[in-house]
Amino acid sequence: MLKRRKECIAMLLAGGQGSRLKVLTENTAKPAVPFGGKYRIIDFPLSNCINSGIDTVGILTQYQPLELNNYIGNGRPWGLDRNFGGAHILPPYSKSKKSEWYKGTANAIYQNMHFIDIYNPEYVLILSGDHIYKMDYNKMLKFHKEKGAECTIAVLDVPLKEASRFGIMKTDDAKDGDKITAFEEKPKKPTSTKASMGIYIFNWKILKQYLIEDEENPKSSNDFGKDIIPRLLEDKKGLYAYQFDGYWKDVGTISSLWEANMDLLDPKSDIKLKDKKFKIYSRNYAQPPSLITKSANITNSYVAEGSIVKGNVKNSIIFTGCVIDEFAEISDSVVMPNTHIGSNASVKYSIIGENVTVEKKCKIGGNPDDYQQWDISVVGKDNILDIEQVVKPGEII
Amino acid sequence: MDMVGIIFSNIYDSTLGDLTKNRTVASVPFGGRYRQIDFVLSNMVNSNVTTVGVITKHHYQSLMDHLISRSEWDLNRKNGGLFILPPFLSGQTEVYRGKIEALYGALSFLRHCSSDYVVLSDAVTICNIDYEEALEAHIKSGADVTVIANKEKECGGKERRLLLKTKGNKVTDVAIDSISDKYDLVGMGMFIIERNLLMEMVKNCVAHGKYHFERDFLQESFASKEISINAYEFKNIVLRNDNVVSYFKNNFKLMDEGVRKALFASDSPIYTKVRDEVPTFYGENAVVDDCIIADGCTIKGHVENCVIFRNVTIEEDCYVKNSIIMQGGIIEKGCNIDCVIADKDVKINKGRTLIGAETAPLIINKAEIV
Repeated sequence: MLKRRKECIAMLLAGGQGSRLKVLTENTAKPAVPFGGKYRIIDFPLSNCINSGIDTVGILTQYQPLELNNYIGNGRPWGLDRNFGGAHILPPYSKSKKSEWYKGTANAIYQNMHFIDIYNPEYVLILSGDHIYKMDYNKMLKFHKEKGAECTIAVLDVPLKEASRFGIMKTDDAKDGDKITAFEEKPKKPTSTKASMGIYIFNWKILKQYLIEDEENPKSSNDFGKDIIPRLLEDKKGLYAYQFDGYWKDVGTISSLWEANMDLLDPKSDIKLKDKKFKIYSRNYAQPPSLITKSANITNSYVAEGSIVKGNVKNSIIFTGCVIDEFAEISDSVVMPNTHIGSNASVKYSIIGENVTVEKKCKIGGNPDDYQQWDISVVGKDNILDIEQVVKPGEII
Repeated sequence: MDMVGIIFSNIYDSTLGDLTKNRTVASVPFGGRYRQIDFVLSNMVNSNVTTVGVITKHHYQSLMDHLISRSEWDLNRKNGGLFILPPFLSGQTEVYRGKIEALYGALSFLRHCSSDYVVLSDAVTICNIDYEEALEAHIKSGADVTVIANKEKECGGKERRLLLKTKGNKVTDVAIDSISDKYDLVGMGMFIIERNLLMEMVKNCVAHGKYHFERDFLQESFASKEISINAYEFKNIVLRNDNVVSYFKNNFKLMDEGVRKALFASDSPIYTKVRDEVPTFYGENAVVDDCIIADGCTIKGHVENCVIFRNVTIEEDCYVKNSIIMQGGIIEKGCNIDCVIADKDVKINKGRTLIGAETAPLIINKAEIV
């Protein structure tokens, strides 16, 4: 073993099927879904790592990993191309005795214990690949050390009525207000508003021991929230809640993905995408600057490089390489990379996937006020819409 | 590909005025997010030329900074890749005068290559060219040197043009610095030549105190029938940035969709240094008419016929037209700007009016506050 070691390495759970994103994750793992004009969801946790001084990240993949693997490559766009450390894709693999998929989040880490041991870390940071947020994990690690914790869980205050969607922490210890006394996964009657963000720091020695024990228990579902955390609590280990108060959003559903994109346009939102001290990095595809013609009208929108805009764009996110023809009307929508919107087409409250062709005079989605039954419309990757085709509000094709 | 590339980064420094005050002509920003060298370098990479030497002379810090990672062009390689060749100075020698002396300093680089051919290029000619095709034509012609050239109607910056009279592809006359109808093609500052022949020529010329590639080698050797010259006519879009006015006009030509398609072909992209900027944000009252705009900008005012580089801020109630605003520029509220080239990190304070002319654009130097 090398004398060099890493104090803390990150394990990023990127294997989620993301079935609630419907057509958007049909051929793509959720973390590879485009976001915010030029990013993919996974850019956020990866950039957070490098911005927090963590340069070793194991990325655990499972479903539809091809696009994600391609995207990560050797990790160079995020500065994660290291001789010792860096980004590593960790798919489930066959061993001599048996081959198996990742059974649960804890099992995914269990199967890669040897990878973690290469770096002989003191701490392991567990992350998920489907959240949009900027966070300095180093501050959380500092908190973890100060508390002398064995496990620290990042938590966010959520409104009480939404608390039943999350794993909820109770921290009513008389001596230390940050100490976790109870944990409930998606409680029906929540008694606290401290929601787990799915971000954990463990002392590696402790975690390793619990992962091995958990694997030996045939009744376990091998999940962090359902098995590992409750066991640690039972054993009266030092679990602490680290309060995060920045922007954080789970983008696991169509509507939350749309909302998170729209949040970028809201000046009151504190995602602070443009903060130069905390940049989000992404793989770059050598596109020329965008071309905006006289017929274009763009307000309150993001337009990425490589796009040609001749139509009208309002409250929307236009990704790299899109073409928006004359008199097209796009409002309150997300148009993913390399999509063509034909002339006089109307796109409202919609997510249009990558590489879609929307022929002229198509009508996609509508304003919520005009319909009794309304939702975000979605057009999946590589679709070609006929001239004047209509996609109703809430329709997913 | 059996060819190495050599790029001259300093040769025409004097022609772009204040824009080359602190940088090489190769690293002058162009087209919203590029440096001029990106075009020739990407052309080489797209033509499978994977060993490239960039010859520098002075103030090449910005160039080094631009090229340093080499990975954007995929030129960080075990075999070959990108080499920066600063002047080879010893006690007796001076900094080189022309391309031949520059090549003399690069002889050891050339000696260590294994390719049979060399493509030489300036950095001021903007085009999207396939050097593999040009090499094929060169080999087929059996000529000693191929000059890559095109038909050019406009004659801005004619003072140092290489003019060719041809019969078929065979060159029958070579002229420099004059303009006359009897010449068919104008050189694009790009040449293909056998590596051994090039090294011989360089040694021979330097031994005789000659340094001007076009005059002392091409023209003279051709006149004395020592070499034969093949012309390779390039028929697509060529933009020559050989003085401030043509540089200024050529930036705006990128708004033409035909020019954009030709230069930024999807099968041969132009690579540049990645800066990880966010997409550009357009505010509630933004008005944008015919502009090319890079990432990372915030546009809240009125911009018309402009080339806006990365990370530029145009505040409310501004009217910016016919201008080039380079990376990091800030135009504060209520400014009125016309025919200006604002170099990197320029700040124009509230309510200023700055007006140049198409034939003499107003250049604001790097990091100046107006």
